[in-house]
Amino acid sequence: MRRESLETALFRAGYLVVFAFMLLPLAVVVVTSFGASGQIAFPPAEFSLTWYESFFDQTDWLRAFDNSLLVGLGTAVVATILGVTAAFGQEIDDGLVGRLLAPLVLLPMLIPPVIFGVTLLVYFTEFDLQGSYVSLILAHTLWATPLVYFVMRSVFRRFDWQQLDAAHDLGAGPVRSFVHVVLPNVKHGIFVGALLAFIVSLQEFVMALFLSNHTTETIPVVAWNQLRNSLSPMVSVVSTFLILISLGAILLAAAATNLNWLSKQLS
Amino acid sequence: MSEIELSGLEKRYGDELAVEDVSVTIEDGELLCLLGPSGSGKSTTLRMIAGLTSPTDGTVRIGEDDVTERPAYDRTTATVFQDWALFPHKTVLENVAFGLRMQSTSTDERRERAREMLDRVEMAEHADDNPTNLSGGQKQRVALARSLAVNPDVLLLDEPLSNLDKRLREDMQIELREIHEDLEKTFVHVTHDQDEAFTLADRIGIMADGELVQVGDPHEVYENPKNRFIEGFLGDTNFLAGEVARTTAESVVVETELGQEMILPSDGDDALAVGESLTLSLRPEVLTIGESPVANDADPETATVADGGTTNEIVGTVENAIYRGSTVRYSVAIENSSVFVERTVADSGAFDAGDDIRIRWNGADVLAFREDGTRVDL
Repeated sequence: MRRESLETALFRAGYLVVFAFMLLPLAVVVVTSFGASGQIAFPPAEFSLTWYESFFDQTDWLRAFDNSLLVGLGTAVVATILGVTAAFGQEIDDGLVGRLLAPLVLLPMLIPPVIFGVTLLVYFTEFDLQGSYVSLILAHTLWATPLVYFVMRSVFRRFDWQQLDAAHDLGAGPVRSFVHVVLPNVKHGIFVGALLAFIVSLQEFVMALFLSNHTTETIPVVAWNQLRNSLSPMVSVVSTFLILISLGAILLAAAATNLNWLSKQLS
Repeated sequence: MSEIELSGLEKRYGDELAVEDVSVTIEDGELLCLLGPSGSGKSTTLRMIAGLTSPTDGTVRIGEDDVTERPAYDRTTATVFQDWALFPHKTVLENVAFGLRMQSTSTDERRERAREMLDRVEMAEHADDNPTNLSGGQKQRVALARSLAVNPDVLLLDEPLSNLDKRLREDMQIELREIHEDLEKTFVHVTHDQDEAFTLADRIGIMADGELVQVGDPHEVYENPKNRFIEGFLGDTNFLAGEVARTTAESVVVETELGQEMILPSDGDDALAVGESLTLSLRPEVLTIGESPVANDADPETATVADGGTTNEIVGTVENAIYRGSTVRYSVAIENSSVFVERTVADSGAFDAGDDIRIRWNGADVLAFREDGTRVDL
């Protein structure tokens, strides 16, 4: 065996070990969800689907799923519109104002979510929005917009702007040239940005804890409340569903874009 | 009518003047080449005609309309871009039909017209291809078809041939010329390649440092350059520094760095003071070369008047010979200076480094420029 391939084999083996170590907790969560007893145990003494059955009977969990999806989709839509238009505008006219304001979109990501959550709660209470979906979507949008913005900056930087000139030149106004020429070139990037925004919203806990009420609680908030009472396998069931949703989203993204392109965008 | 009139056109980027006071009228059906080195403002001028860049001062008129404030999508111009800017996610046919689609032409009609255009540029068999898979020459043809499909009043070409190899470029120049004659539309073609400009243009506009220095038909611009920049830009020449030694009624005698006086015929239109510094331009095509005269021949220091002109003659030593395809260029040392001369390879007799060589020219073929670059009207 040549030295070079031995090193490669070792590197690969090491990588697999790290990878397995990182995926193991997911496996533990999925396995514990099939437990029969009232406490999380690994490995479970007895396997059953008891907790899956009771999941579909518990309205607060089902509502939490609906809430998370609603807030996630809302955040994805608002953050994508804001991030895409901001990046597009700055690419077209890279003026002084844009260059000074751009770093400001990073601010929400630098403030600890606990402080941000309290501040937003006080702020939204002023407008009677506390506990509403709107407040949750706006809070998550503050976090997700910078991500979409930076993804789109890098996507637009790759765009051949002469195409926009050509579209204008051939009689396409601002809206039609964006729809017919810019959009088809960057739609994969927009999709990735929207997916990021959705996932950020789906997993965000601290701000949601402050801003939601009993009817608007998202999955992480309900999970936290239940965990405080007991370590029941119901949390594992919910986590299993979340893992499936995330996997589904990634597969969807891979199919819609193709992984080759995705890795190029993120490198 | 699609006459274009630019008046006082200016484009400023901060403190940088990209285009300064450009005024010219491009006649209906004319092919004007804007020729200049990179950064001379020729592309910016073209973009202002297209409406893709807005001028900071001046006006653009196309036909009867002042279009200065009109965006590109409201103008009857079409541009062929340097990198062609084809839409990569559309097929070749969809690219060509795009402009018609924006004009809300019916699907059948625009497909028919797009096919017609592709036929014209001999790209019909590639109609369903993805433009990214085409070669440079093919992309160029598609871009041309795309611009022609909208039936523009004015076709603007922004160095569309500069990314093609020499052979293809020359073929396309002929084809462009033919398309122009066919369509009888106004064309404005931007290029930095003087051969291309001379091949294509009805008139050439020479740009330097954002200014339109001279506009005229190719022959006039070449034979009668307005200043030293144009003389140097349009082909290679020998520039020699000199000083006016004396003037007579029918000539000006200039003491040059070649260590020999040169006689330039003059009708005395432009007053020259003795001692004034001049730059003389000796183009290689006005220099005839031959073997050095034997020792008892005429004194080379003496200029002789013959053939109704002023023949000058000088002897030098060949420093080196460079083969440039169909011609050979000799660098000839004379005194502390050197000039280059050319002869076609087919001519009999070749010179080697170290050979003495005799150079002759007619003084009337020499152009003279003042220190500020302006031409002396001899």
